[in-house]
Amino acid sequence: MSTKSGTTWTVYDANTMTQAEIYGQVLCDLGEANPKIVGLSADLAKSTKIGMFGDKFPDRFFNVGIAEQNMFGVSAGLARSGLLPFVSTMAAFVTMRAGEQVRTDICYQNLDVKIIATHGGTSFGAAGSTHHCTEDLAITRAFPNMTVIVPADGIETANAVKACVDWPGPVYIRIGRGFEPTYYKDENYGFQIGKAVELNPGTDITIICCGVTVLQAMEAAKILKESDGLSVRVLNMHTVKPIDEEAILKAVVETRRIITFEDHNVLGGLGSAVADVVAKSGKGCAFDKVGIPDCFCVVGYPEDLYSHYGLDSNSIIDKVREVMGKDFEEDESWEDEV
Amino acid sequence: MPLTDQEIKELKARAKQIRLDIIDTTVAAGGAHIGGGMSIVEIMTILYYKYAKVDPSNPKWEDRDRIVVSKGHAGVCVAPVLANKGYFPREDLKSFNQFNSPFGMHLDSLKVKGVDASTGSLGHGLSMSVGMALGARVQGKSWNTYCILGDGECNEGSVWEAAMSASHFKLTNLITFVDRNKLMIDGPTEQVMGLEPFADKWKAFGFIVKEIDGHDFNALSEAIEYAHSEKSGPVLIMCNTIKGKGVDFMENEVKWHYGSVDSVLAQKARESVEKMS
Amino acid sequence: MATERDLLASRIILKAVLPVAKVVLEEVPAMKKKFQGVNATFQIQAKNGDENIGAYFKFTDGELEIVQGVYENPDIRFAFSKPESMVAFLTGGIALPKIKGLGKPGLLMKCVGLLLSLTILLPNKRPKKYDQVRLKVKMVMYMITTALSQYNKGGDPEMVKWTTKQPDRIYQMSCEPEGIAAYIRVKGGKTKAGRGYYTRKHPFVHMKFHGARGALPVFMNDVEFVDAVAKGYVTVEGAPEYAMHLNNHMQQIQALIT
Repeated sequence: MSTKSGTTWTVYDANTMTQAEIYGQVLCDLGEANPKIVGLSADLAKSTKIGMFGDKFPDRFFNVGIAEQNMFGVSAGLARSGLLPFVSTMAAFVTMRAGEQVRTDICYQNLDVKIIATHGGTSFGAAGSTHHCTEDLAITRAFPNMTVIVPADGIETANAVKACVDWPGPVYIRIGRGFEPTYYKDENYGFQIGKAVELNPGTDITIICCGVTVLQAMEAAKILKESDGLSVRVLNMHTVKPIDEEAILKAVVETRRIITFEDHNVLGGLGSAVADVVAKSGKGCAFDKVGIPDCFCVVGYPEDLYSHYGLDSNSIIDKVREVMGKDFEEDESWEDEV
Repeated sequence: MPLTDQEIKELKARAKQIRLDIIDTTVAAGGAHIGGGMSIVEIMTILYYKYAKVDPSNPKWEDRDRIVVSKGHAGVCVAPVLANKGYFPREDLKSFNQFNSPFGMHLDSLKVKGVDASTGSLGHGLSMSVGMALGARVQGKSWNTYCILGDGECNEGSVWEAAMSASHFKLTNLITFVDRNKLMIDGPTEQVMGLEPFADKWKAFGFIVKEIDGHDFNALSEAIEYAHSEKSGPVLIMCNTIKGKGVDFMENEVKWHYGSVDSVLAQKARESVEKMS
Repeated sequence: MATERDLLASRIILKAVLPVAKVVLEEVPAMKKKFQGVNATFQIQAKNGDENIGAYFKFTDGELEIVQGVYENPDIRFAFSKPESMVAFLTGGIALPKIKGLGKPGLLMKCVGLLLSLTILLPNKRPKKYDQVRLKVKMVMYMITTALSQYNKGGDPEMVKWTTKQPDRIYQMSCEPEGIAAYIRVKGGKTKAGRGYYTRKHPFVHMKFHGARGALPVFMNDVEFVDAVAKGYVTVEGAPEYAMHLNNHMQQIQALIT
């Protein structure tokens, strides 16, 4: 287990393959089967693990050095020449340093470029805000033609990488720094781009989450069932765009309480996307979103940051309890009907 | 091989027609980047009519040469070239800038046949060209990629990132032109943000630089053929040009970076072009 | 003074049992005809210490409204000396009220007739004809949901403990194909009985009875709930333990008022 790229996971067992290594391996397998797949990196081949692909297929891998704008322009050119580029760098640099190239060279021209954005959210905690990215979902959601996926763990990342090969147009897959714990036991749970996964059925309240918060939410749901007797529905909304409106509407009507959790600014990310659907439905529903409260995050290990910003399982438990206490309009009369 | 007299005659005739079409298109559009469109006419003409392997009836032909006009605002020149070459009827040029027209200031590669990249935001074209050149190499193809940059455009850092990588990857199948007309919107390039020593910069970034008169077909021909033969690294053809070339009252004028012409001025412009030798 | 339990029982009678007379009026054509065009008030009350507790039937052009409380000047009045007597009278026991309105025999007969129709709710009444079965099922379902809610509002400690723990939940009952449905909504100690299907949320427990003939034996405790499920009289969707809780509470109410 390499510790070159940062701290190891402090709480969970890190003996299973890390999130990034799984995707690196999958890319190699895909590359084997499809000669059109090429890879690109901006001097981050080792930490984004696309280097594994690079080692295996040196003629189909291009390291452009610390020049992200060039990298995305080059990937657009490669796509135009008939190849299928997988491009990887840190989320902040994908969406902001090279944001225009992503939007104008790739999305505007609707090219088949698959982007794997690493170190999303606050996962690179110790590095500070220059390497955090709590804006990327807001930015990429607003790029037409872009599909935005936030896998829950390494296994889901592998599924997403496999699925995006045949998915038309540009795809943005956002992962952490690669040492996140796995949630899924195996890859056969029916991953489909655009379809939320109901990890836990429930009727009292729904948690809609993505990325690292998925595991946390499931832990919380288990505890809430045992201690509070609450029936919590958990939806893994891995595809933020196009969002699974049907699943959200079902949750609105069947549970009437929704909380979203994401390692992203509360403005513009998963929470906002869900809120759009809830508001449009015109139906009464208690709603709240939890994420980074529109601020630049403090320095710290990600576990500490998640706990600080309300994204770990204990915070989720507290939040659920809080929202359960909320009323909405039709509670005015408690008189029995005749 | 030097151009024959016949070839030069034909190329000049083509160039003249294209210039006239640029004027007409500017009128139809209500205004265009006419100055910078005029300065690259010879470059575009010799590419499309002599050197580039393209097939207007098959714009997506896999093995075609790619041409990326990175200075995308020269759409007013690119569109008439493509029309003349037969990618679409010349009639279509009349819809420039109209509601929902495929033709706007900056050509949309998804809507206009023959456009290999949607440029317009300066500084992107060379990166995309690098990608195309790499793509050809990965697939073992022999087609070339031609990229035309503006000189003011070279203020953008992304151009130099691309240049660095073109040299690092030894992309000999990439031929780059700079339209060195020495003017930009706010004034001459050397006053706004100096590029000189410009050729030296390209050389420092690993390019072999050929400086020529960008309106001389012979010089262009020689430079392009040299680029085809050079195997050590990418070639940059520094074309010294005149912004607004062909229209006497526009030549070398900063203000004609973008402008519109009424029927009187348009007629004057046409007369000036007709007088070209 | 009446005991807590007595008062709770009265509350159930007044607020849950009497109101289902409305169902009788709506569903039984003969009864509807009897009260056609009638405008009158019929009070039932009991003395509890210094005050009277009760409810009255208010007929307006034959339409029935059951109102809680004591009406100033009813046409007919049944007044009991204590709540236990009222409860006993209405649950098939012996107790005699003081009757006002003997001067309006016609109306009095009609009112008594209506009260008698409520006896179908008694545990020893097993109707055979389908219409009667259907009627009883509907009356029981309405009565039971309201009774549960009133049991909570009346402060039965166990019931209150159960409802306080609950976040917002719906306990739904239905009987198809007859289209009979009623629910009780429980939220943090508050309860509300409702008619029909609750559509704003997915029910936490849904007891689906298959046909009135399947529902009746369950309501009458002729068959154990578990057996009823096995026999296909009823299907329970949702948390089965909570279905059992509900069943237990219903039994307690039954015990209380009979």
